[in-house]
Amino acid sequence: MLLFRSEDDIVAWCERRHITPGAVFALAQLWRLATAWYDDRLDPAWRRRTAPQRQAILDAVGLTGSFWRLTDS
Amino acid sequence: MNTDPVDLTQGRLISDSEIRLWVYQHFVDTGRAPSPVEIAAHFQLAPADIEQRLRRLQEEADALVLLPGSSYIWMAEPFSAVPTSFHVRSGARHWWGNCIWDALAILALIGTDGSVSTACPHSGQPLLLSVTGGRLADAQGIVHFAVPARDWWRDIGFT
Repeated sequence: MLLFRSEDDIVAWCERRHITPGAVFALAQLWRLATAWYDDRLDPAWRRRTAPQRQAILDAVGLTGSFWRLTDS
Repeated sequence: MNTDPVDLTQGRLISDSEIRLWVYQHFVDTGRAPSPVEIAAHFQLAPADIEQRLRRLQEEADALVLLPGSSYIWMAEPFSAVPTSFHVRSGARHWWGNCIWDALAILALIGTDGSVSTACPHSGQPLLLSVTGGRLADAQGIVHFAVPARDWWRDIGFT
């Protein structure tokens, strides 16, 4: 999960490493994801969220579609 | 499965959860991971006991990632115990994030203003992000996730 200067840089970087480009999106959306995903880590009663709970966070910040599915089902 | 066993030490019970939380607070306060010996000294437990608990926190609770083949903490997501390309600062404190997502998450979970320094992996151009008042105030760059969500934990170091 890297930060690039531009979409052109992403394409060139992927070509150079023979990597299929993945998902590209804006920092504002990543900030919403970062805020929601880790908001429980300093909770003394923390338990790893279940896959449905994690999927709900991705959905809530607008990261939907097959790339963002945590399971095959 | 009981993932949170307890031992009787010095007249009180120490849970794995308590150790996990102390590791996180140590990252918050100091920017680095405590060693197994430091954790053992803090809780007055045997280092071998702490190593067993750290492995349990990794393998059963999915709470930590240890450096391969060791009992040293590598990641307590979003914190990295080793320097990375994602440097996070707030005042005199600083941390390392495992990726751009984690770098922003460090400021979010601590709830502090600060900045993230990284560089474009292709052009090398430095990129600086700022968080002020709980908002992303300065946002240079665009995010790329190479690994689909279902594979994020297959190789967490690459992800």
